[in-house]
Amino acid sequence: MRQTRHAYPEQSETDAAPLRDLPLRAFHWLSVVAVAVAAMTGFLAPPWWQPVHVIAGYVLACLLAFRILWGVFGSRFSQFQSFSLSISGTIRYLRDIAAGHNPTFDGHNPAGTWMIFILLALLAALVASGLLLLGGQEKLGPLAAAVAYQTARRFRDIHEIAAWALLGVVTLHLLGVAFDTLVQKHPALTAMVTGTKPGWKPPSPAANRAWTRRGMVLAGLSSLVLIGIGTGLSSLPAKGYAPIHYPDVYKTECADCHSIYHPSLRTAGAWRKMMSQLSDHYGEDASLPDADNQAITDFLTANNAEAFDTEASWRIGRQDTPSLRMTDTGYWKRRHRKIENTAFNDPAVGSKANCAACHQDAATGLFADGKIHLPERNRK
Amino acid sequence: MKRHERMSLKTVPLIVALACAALVPPSLAADPRQQIIAGYEATAKAAKPGFNGFSSERGEAFFRAAPGTGKPETPSCTTCHTADPRAAGKTRAGKAIAPMAVSIQADRYLDAAKVEKWYRRNCRSVLGRECTAIEKGDFLTFMINR
Repeated sequence: MRQTRHAYPEQSETDAAPLRDLPLRAFHWLSVVAVAVAAMTGFLAPPWWQPVHVIAGYVLACLLAFRILWGVFGSRFSQFQSFSLSISGTIRYLRDIAAGHNPTFDGHNPAGTWMIFILLALLAALVASGLLLLGGQEKLGPLAAAVAYQTARRFRDIHEIAAWALLGVVTLHLLGVAFDTLVQKHPALTAMVTGTKPGWKPPSPAANRAWTRRGMVLAGLSSLVLIGIGTGLSSLPAKGYAPIHYPDVYKTECADCHSIYHPSLRTAGAWRKMMSQLSDHYGEDASLPDADNQAITDFLTANNAEAFDTEASWRIGRQDTPSLRMTDTGYWKRRHRKIENTAFNDPAVGSKANCAACHQDAATGLFADGKIHLPERNRK
Repeated sequence: MKRHERMSLKTVPLIVALACAALVPPSLAADPRQQIIAGYEATAKAAKPGFNGFSSERGEAFFRAAPGTGKPETPSCTTCHTADPRAAGKTRAGKAIAPMAVSIQADRYLDAAKVEKWYRRNCRSVLGRECTAIEKGDFLTFMINR
């Protein structure tokens, strides 16, 4: 039988390099936590968990930046240089395993190496598409000033597909580790926890401490740079959105009876039509003196949906309905389909027209996921 | 000399009168609610020579009535204001309406234009027409007494 151990050039005699240095292990387990939080909040949690999802994404961005630096400046088995992505080597390895052989590696086996690259690439794709979505769709985060809604929209599917792909690859990763640990009896999990394995000649404690120090400095610096750039970019005015000032006549004449509607929620044509039929305003007489009507119409048309690039202005504002009601748009219905009618009749809400009962930022026109507070939740 | 004396005799009472006017507290000068009611009273007298004052009872009956001549969504004042003038109401769109009774809501009916605005809108919604001065005065009297 062939000595599999000599068939692989990646193998070497053990030397005094850390098998899994502490910064690498910290990166691995922090990524596990961040991915778990991002997956739970992304797949399962209601929309108002979005800020937590975003924080998990920011953490992953910092972790990824560190991992890339560590792939260059880290210890031997953390360096990308030590990774072999040779196709023929991988096929040979898989064939050996299928034949019942048990090759061993100091670093990663070829399948594990591929796994690392695919996981890192998917995480990078998720962070990038997430930032684009956050900026263009939610008008939040470092890319809010640069990304238009219609640009961001194209990344929604990418973000979702990458998320499902990550779920699949993480499953493969766990199966691979289980196979390696339980069938092949390799201490893969032990190595990622303790940093070494039986029979490994570890570096001196001083050398280990030096790697840890270097990792902390690199992680700290790269995170600070990212946080600094991110905070700076986030403070720029968002693309296609600026806060508006509501004239007093609008506040009293319209918002004495109903929630104050941001003018970006209807088109100029819809506003004009609505303002011309106020004597029968959804079953009530809301007619106004001509001067007030004109002032309000001017305000609404000047700030109509076309003047904004927000999600609400695109999905609700630009969608004209025969009734002129926002609640008759397809998007409004889809987003509120899980909410029982009884919730709208709740004394704290009153009607579907009362946006501000749940959307704390309704008056801004942004309708951020994180600003949704259902009254039922608050009552407990 | 003589000319000068005559002038001072004329100006003194004027100065006294102006000083007195300035000293009168504004609250005594005019009660805005009574001014609004006085306005409706003048219109009512002009329209109906036999008119002899507003009635809180008529105002209450008017408040609770369901005339059936307005829009189907708003059959009565009580649709939005509830049957208890001391309780908060709610618009059909879900916004809270402060209680109508002055005993609970002290800032009610102080602005004539605002009172007229809501009479115009709400009378058209509930009655299908503008309210008469008598109806407005009766209603206000009822709410002020509550």
